[in-house]
Amino acid sequence: MHANVQQAETPGDVQPILRVRDLQAHYRTTHLGLRRGVRAVDGVSFNVRRGEIFGLAGESSSGKTTLIKSIAGVIRPPLEIVGGTVDFAFLPGFGGLHRAPPAELARIRWRHLSYIVQGSMSVLNPVRRVESAFLDFAYPHIGGHRKQFEQQVIAHLARMRLEPSVLTAFPHELSGGMRQRATLALATICRPDFIIADEPTTALDVLVQKEVLGMMRGIQRETGSSILLVTHDMGVHAHVTDRLGIMYAGRLVEEAATAEIFRNPLHPYTRHLISSLPRIGDDAPRAGLVGSPPNLADPPPGCRFHPRCPLATEICRGEVPAIREADNGHRVACFAVERGSRA
Amino acid sequence: MSGYAAYVGRRLGQFLLVVFIGINVAYVITHASPIDPVEQSISAVSSYGNTAPGAIEQMRNSLRDLYGLSGTPSEQYLLFWKRILRADFGPSMSAFPTPVATLIGRALPWTVGLLSVSTIVAWGLGNLLGGLAGYYRQSRGLKLMGVIAMGLHPIPYYIVAMLLLIVFGFVWPVLPITGGSTMNLPQTWTPEFVLSVLQHAILPALSLILIGVGSWFLGMRALVSNVLAEEFVLYAELAGVKPWRILTLYVMRNAIVPQVTGLAMSLGGIFNGAVITEKVFGYPGLGSLLVDAVYAGDYGLVLGVTTISILGVSVGVLLIDLTYPLLDPRVKIS
Amino acid sequence: MAVLLRNLLRHSPEFRIGAVLIAVVLLLATLASVSPSPPEIVYVVPPDLPPSPTYWFGTTSRGQDVFWQLSFAIRNTLLFGCNVALTSRVIALTVGLISGYKGGWTDRALMSVNDTLIVIPLLPILVLFYFVMRDQISWLMLALIMACFGWAYDARLIRSVVMSLRAREFTQTCLFSGMSTRQILTEEHLPYVLPIVFSTTMNNMVWSIGLEVTLAVLGFTDIDRPTIGGMIYWANQHTAMVAGVWWWIAFPTLTVVVAFIGLFLLAVSANAYIDPRSRLWTTGGAS
Repeated sequence: MHANVQQAETPGDVQPILRVRDLQAHYRTTHLGLRRGVRAVDGVSFNVRRGEIFGLAGESSSGKTTLIKSIAGVIRPPLEIVGGTVDFAFLPGFGGLHRAPPAELARIRWRHLSYIVQGSMSVLNPVRRVESAFLDFAYPHIGGHRKQFEQQVIAHLARMRLEPSVLTAFPHELSGGMRQRATLALATICRPDFIIADEPTTALDVLVQKEVLGMMRGIQRETGSSILLVTHDMGVHAHVTDRLGIMYAGRLVEEAATAEIFRNPLHPYTRHLISSLPRIGDDAPRAGLVGSPPNLADPPPGCRFHPRCPLATEICRGEVPAIREADNGHRVACFAVERGSRA
Repeated sequence: MSGYAAYVGRRLGQFLLVVFIGINVAYVITHASPIDPVEQSISAVSSYGNTAPGAIEQMRNSLRDLYGLSGTPSEQYLLFWKRILRADFGPSMSAFPTPVATLIGRALPWTVGLLSVSTIVAWGLGNLLGGLAGYYRQSRGLKLMGVIAMGLHPIPYYIVAMLLLIVFGFVWPVLPITGGSTMNLPQTWTPEFVLSVLQHAILPALSLILIGVGSWFLGMRALVSNVLAEEFVLYAELAGVKPWRILTLYVMRNAIVPQVTGLAMSLGGIFNGAVITEKVFGYPGLGSLLVDAVYAGDYGLVLGVTTISILGVSVGVLLIDLTYPLLDPRVKIS
Repeated sequence: MAVLLRNLLRHSPEFRIGAVLIAVVLLLATLASVSPSPPEIVYVVPPDLPPSPTYWFGTTSRGQDVFWQLSFAIRNTLLFGCNVALTSRVIALTVGLISGYKGGWTDRALMSVNDTLIVIPLLPILVLFYFVMRDQISWLMLALIMACFGWAYDARLIRSVVMSLRAREFTQTCLFSGMSTRQILTEEHLPYVLPIVFSTTMNNMVWSIGLEVTLAVLGFTDIDRPTIGGMIYWANQHTAMVAGVWWWIAFPTLTVVVAFIGLFLLAVSANAYIDPRSRLWTTGGAS
């Protein structure tokens, strides 16, 4: 396991901004006498470099939402982190936000680590004006004169092509696109080192999506922030991310530079994902995967993909494939790939 | 701002509808009953014998006029409404010849005072404690309060009033249990008078507050738990906003909105509670007036108090409704 | 339904307590059938005796056994509550389903009437009614009037559930497959609405019994029919508290309070069980 982590860092690399090592996060409930443990994230390791946009792709039950909750330190029962560590360069030594003391968290939240979430419909307080969010979230970090701060906010909003009147509006008075851009402004005004973006453009129409993604990339280039972008939309990943990790059933099955993943997917699941993307001019019918995503309360033994995998063999049913470097910077967790056989 | 004007218009319309329907219900009840109030009053008066038949006939006619029962049904209906709009309920039979309106005028301030103070205290305190209980789930003190609230909330007003009466009347007599103020004290705004008013108000108010706090506590606790699961609360937490700020400006600020609607809807029930509580403690408000009027067979007074009750509660609801958009900017102002 | 009850019994302490309390009250009510004498007769036993092995709850100043009187009283009171609750459920369901489903002008009109009934203070109206009817008042009439006013609050709750159901996809599917409105409402939507109806029925009973007790205590009902409020009324007439006959007031009060808390707990636990989020709290998790 250690070998994997070291290989992800080539000598001379600057220390990564985020290191996730063997993270395990489960949901544990005891309801009406029934004990249940859902192993939503089961041993995930990856790094994110400074100034990099790292994407996480996967279906809805792949565990990506739980993964980002764990990284963000939003751990509430029944969710529990049962193993592994999460280390940000700006918050060393604790192994995870959930272990850090409140004073440290107050220091880093929003200033070093911010978030963009899906459903911008409901991320702003519906009974207070938009400016209250800026005052609550960003002003404690930026400080200074109120007037000055206001000017700063207006200038920043202008970058998102938003009028100053947005500030005095209530959230429900803005359109979906405007809200998302306002949230983007809110998340970037403190120039954080790291932004976690959870489905930032889902539920927006395509034109607005393009606009918001463009703005994200623009801001990111300007501030040098890293972004962890989580979405099931492969098109968004192709458009924006530098590196891409594929999650399946709570595990990371492949990770490489985005272009590499699209050009040369190795894991059978990834290959299926890529091949199922529509291409202009290609009329061939797409085959669906047999079966359905596994029940994470009772996952299949060994490789979790084996019940649906065309290349599955005996070893796949028995042992868990570790994620190993197959090519330069291209990691994959699959016995078949190790063997050299291709689908 | 024109959106608000439209809202006010709608609420005003609803207010007028309520008053109209309510007073019509009162009309139907009094005029559709098989019992003739005139005959009732006459038999009550003449049961002591020795009234000449001619005099009874005279009485009958004047009572008919007084009660608005002469003429055809449609004439009676119009007369009824004319009098109501003039606030003319006629003289009170039990306190002849004092007009009903005067008696109501005397009792009204007591009821309004008692009701508004106890409702505001109960609503405010209940919501505050309930909000804290919903947020600090682990606190044993707040959990205990929840259990007490659950025990108090379903108990009818009468029983709590009676229990308080027993405790403070017989077991530990430190507070006055009847009247609005010390008897024989002139009703002017001297500190003495004000103090005695406050003293006498403690028990009835306490009775109303105990039950009210329980209800608002439970409601707010549930609302706060729901709001806590909302995205914008999570987002504020992710942004590192201080917990106290989140509790007040994000959670409670949102949870209080349906409680305002709830207040408007419960006003009728709270008024009912005030009526019986006043009677138990002999508090000189509309409640005591109503009950005593029934015992005395005073038709005009009963009808008058009922009408004013309907009107008063409707006005209260209207005022509360008008403050709603100020709290929730999402109200559909279309 | 049976599974629901079994689960509630097993896992919700509130439900257990509520069920026990109600069982005790029901037991008392059913015992009325084996009472040694009809409840209207007075002076059957020596008056003003404190509780003893012969007269478990003592006797009243009117020469009646408090225990047997109480059993009739609680039975009549509960019957009254059930009556009002059932009648008003029918109205509340009808109005709520139609209003929530149809929307538009029907909804607006119905809700205006609904809100009117919520606002109007019922006690003065009932007092006026009593004043006008006097001795001709019967508990059936009273129950009817209360039912006519008591449906409003719950109709709103049902309506909001129906409105959210109407927006769901399966309703569209039903429409497209040719189901009539009546069919959709009764076969598809009703099962979702019934759990709310259960808890509102309990609350409605608490409300109507409370109102009846209040009226009876003032003497504004048919006082010859034994009810909890009626017992307290007669006790007050005989100044029981001052005379020291505390058991005449204490036992009816205690019984009705037990009944109220029991009903309330049943409603609350059923509600909490149905709402999945609150289930998570009780099991130590929260979101």
